[in-house]
Amino acid sequence: MRRLTRNFVAICSTLALTAGLAACGSGSDEAGGAGDTIVAETAFNLKTIDPHRQFEFTGSTIDNAVYQTALEFEDGDLTKPTDGLCSFEMSDDSKEMTLTLKDEDAKFSNGDPVTVDDIVFSFERLQGIKGNPSFFLDGVSVEKVDDETVKLISKDPNPALPYILPNASIGIVNSKVVKENEGTTDEDDGAEQFLNENSQGSGPYKVEKYDADSQVVLTANEHYNGPEPKYKRVVLRNVSAETQLTDIQSGQAQVAYDLNSDQAKQIDESMGKISSLPSTRSLYIFNNTDEKTGGPAADPDFRKAVMAAIDYDKLIDLAGEGSQRMASLVPNEFVGAVSKDEAPERDLAKAKKLLKKAGYDGEKVPFHYSSDQAVNGVDLAQLAETLQAQLKEADINLDLKPAPSSTQLDGFRSAKQPMGIGTWGADFPDPTNYNVFIPGGSVAERVNWNEDPQLKKLANEAAKAKGDERDSAYAKLFKATTDTAVWIPLVQPVDTVAVGSSITKFVSNADVSFDFAKAE
Amino acid sequence: MAEATTAPQGGQTAPAPDDTDAAQRIKPPKLHPLLRFILIRIGISIILIWGVTVVTFLLTNLVPTDPVAAILGDRAAADPEIVAQTRAKLGLDQPLIVQYFTYLGNLLQGDLGVSNQTRTPVLASIGQVFPASIELGIGAILISVILGLLLGLLSALKQNTIVDHAIRTLSLIGISAPTFWIATVAYFVFFFRLRVVPGAGRLDPWITPPPKVTGLYTVDSLLAGQMATFTNALGHLILPSCVLALFTIGLLTRFSRSSVLDIIRFDYVTAAKAKGLPSRTVVFKYIFRGALVPIITVVGLAFGSLLSGAVLTETVFAWNGLGQYAYRGATTLDLPVIMGVGLVIGVVYILVNFIVDLIYGFVDPRVRVR
Repeated sequence: MRRLTRNFVAICSTLALTAGLAACGSGSDEAGGAGDTIVAETAFNLKTIDPHRQFEFTGSTIDNAVYQTALEFEDGDLTKPTDGLCSFEMSDDSKEMTLTLKDEDAKFSNGDPVTVDDIVFSFERLQGIKGNPSFFLDGVSVEKVDDETVKLISKDPNPALPYILPNASIGIVNSKVVKENEGTTDEDDGAEQFLNENSQGSGPYKVEKYDADSQVVLTANEHYNGPEPKYKRVVLRNVSAETQLTDIQSGQAQVAYDLNSDQAKQIDESMGKISSLPSTRSLYIFNNTDEKTGGPAADPDFRKAVMAAIDYDKLIDLAGEGSQRMASLVPNEFVGAVSKDEAPERDLAKAKKLLKKAGYDGEKVPFHYSSDQAVNGVDLAQLAETLQAQLKEADINLDLKPAPSSTQLDGFRSAKQPMGIGTWGADFPDPTNYNVFIPGGSVAERVNWNEDPQLKKLANEAAKAKGDERDSAYAKLFKATTDTAVWIPLVQPVDTVAVGSSITKFVSNADVSFDFAKAE
Repeated sequence: MAEATTAPQGGQTAPAPDDTDAAQRIKPPKLHPLLRFILIRIGISIILIWGVTVVTFLLTNLVPTDPVAAILGDRAAADPEIVAQTRAKLGLDQPLIVQYFTYLGNLLQGDLGVSNQTRTPVLASIGQVFPASIELGIGAILISVILGLLLGLLSALKQNTIVDHAIRTLSLIGISAPTFWIATVAYFVFFFRLRVVPGAGRLDPWITPPPKVTGLYTVDSLLAGQMATFTNALGHLILPSCVLALFTIGLLTRFSRSSVLDIIRFDYVTAAKAKGLPSRTVVFKYIFRGALVPIITVVGLAFGSLLSGAVLTETVFAWNGLGQYAYRGATTLDLPVIMGVGLVIGVVYILVNFIVDLIYGFVDPRVRVR
């Protein structure tokens, strides 16, 4: 038996030795070096990287590095669109935009020059294929004037157009190559798969390998006309938030996108830096205005009681350092945002008084939310439980109804949920993007909110306003919208990017989150 | 009875003394019991696979949500015309029974559909991720078989000693500890603190995978003669395999312990000991071999469960296998992916069961005549 024990120990030792040898052999001759590679990690939200079809965070992150756009936001200042491939001019009535090709040295990754024809094709393809981001150029016709000029003509005044064009979904593609690979400007387009594997952009990088489930590898575009990126290769990997934390701490990865505030606190200076920027997303409570569906939530006094019963400071703590109070659903950095000073405050006495007026006697109100979703590190399940506890102090009883996001969204879209947590990420940084929350808008329909003459009047006034007046007109509209408490703004979370200590210089802004090409 | 047993075998009949006797003697040729056993098992497996297609199809269609909205996204789903077009394109406007037969028809031609999210054929994606899970599964099964059997044997031979108690406690922990927690702690300790294993993924991010032959990086890198890639792939394989193996180690330890304890009491073992054979011969030739047969079932089924149960381990270790693919399909309501993965895992289970049954049939003649 002693011999048996010895054999057992020998086998275990062999296994351990093999493990050790394998672990030690990580450095490799086939490997090349890690020095010119950035490893970035995120929990993938990726359907495609065809710029005219992608509409998710991961796709957008990749396309920002691969495609140039007609206009840009310089240094992430979302209030001022600037020249990109083109310079621009808006007509006085905001119906006509003239784009002039400015960056004449720009070249696609195969060396072809970027032309006006490419810009026209890209705009028309975005519109014609009827994908998720096609709405960006709804009601806009595209017209080539000459080899340097394109005109965008809108049916109605469209002051948001300069804020829309920097979006990564309106990236400029090499029309010649895309057309050769089944690319069209209508629904017959068949170039998506080709564009996933063979990017056709003029940005600092091109796609080397695309795998929507595990990782996307980018390599430097040798024909890029801007400064040569220090990191020639970017590996974007699909990794859970828990593993991202360990990887950034150990130097295994240089960029992590999905850390929540608690995880971010665990990174000290020796491991990396945290870049925090205001998120362009809003978290809110929705209340259904239809009596049959909404029950108590349909009563304006009940809704206002809910608004007065929330402890907003605690929500800020939950969302982490850098998160902000909101006085409307428009993020604080946007034109048309309502000043934070006017954000709702907690007042339990007021809440109880309003509840009495509403005739609410403590019945349970179903409260829906996505149990599997976190928005900029704010876990919606945790947020829902916090709200339930806070409202209980005002004798409001929420009956929590968690569901996977796809199921929850279905219920919300079909206007069948009385109350719950909603999230909105800005498609473009202009207040018109929030018109969907005004009665008659597509999101307002989800709470059966179709009519409100006062808001309609304010919306018309805001649409006609120009220049500096635009800001105050929209702020007035959205303040009045908040006052109805159909939407109760909760918190504007913070966009956190963890950057490993091996990166000494980086640019992180609200537009592209982390700029691979500018990292050193 | 006597006539029947003396009748020639192999379908040949002896000349009959009269017509009545001939009628009694002419019987359809009997199949060899083993062949009959195999054919019955094949038949059962086919019916089971068909059952899996029905169950996966029905379950995914009972989910109270509209996949079209998930496919199109918020904006495009706001246009009823686009929604109707997509519905028609996917065949979702057809009655459920028609949808099922279309699905089955496509399935018989090897078409598992196209992912609603990534527009990639499901079969191609499964072909891409399956080898990763197989590699992980093989690693885990090797570790668990070696350690599980040895620990079980040791535990039985040292019955009621401190060694036995320690092994039994460890196996209980292995069975009951949550995999996700074990995986996270193991990654933190062995990668982050001790640095004895490399980080998450199948290879370091800056290493290019070897040319695909089998899809198993360890095998392919050896075939390509890339030793550095091989050691890197092996290093990445060790920790997730060990984590995934823990449950099976616990299971096998307990199972082999009780199996060995059963065998140890048999007379032939006592006789072998009495003859004065060396203890190693008694243990490995008499006890262990005897205990091995029922363990085959556990090993077979454990392999199936390793493939399907690797979701959390694969997520923690960023192991791009079937588990992670299934997780992504489920969270994005990608019905073709969910059905494809469900079918593949179902088929793997059925195949494993079939092979285990066959081995039993070969090893134990009593099984095939039941």
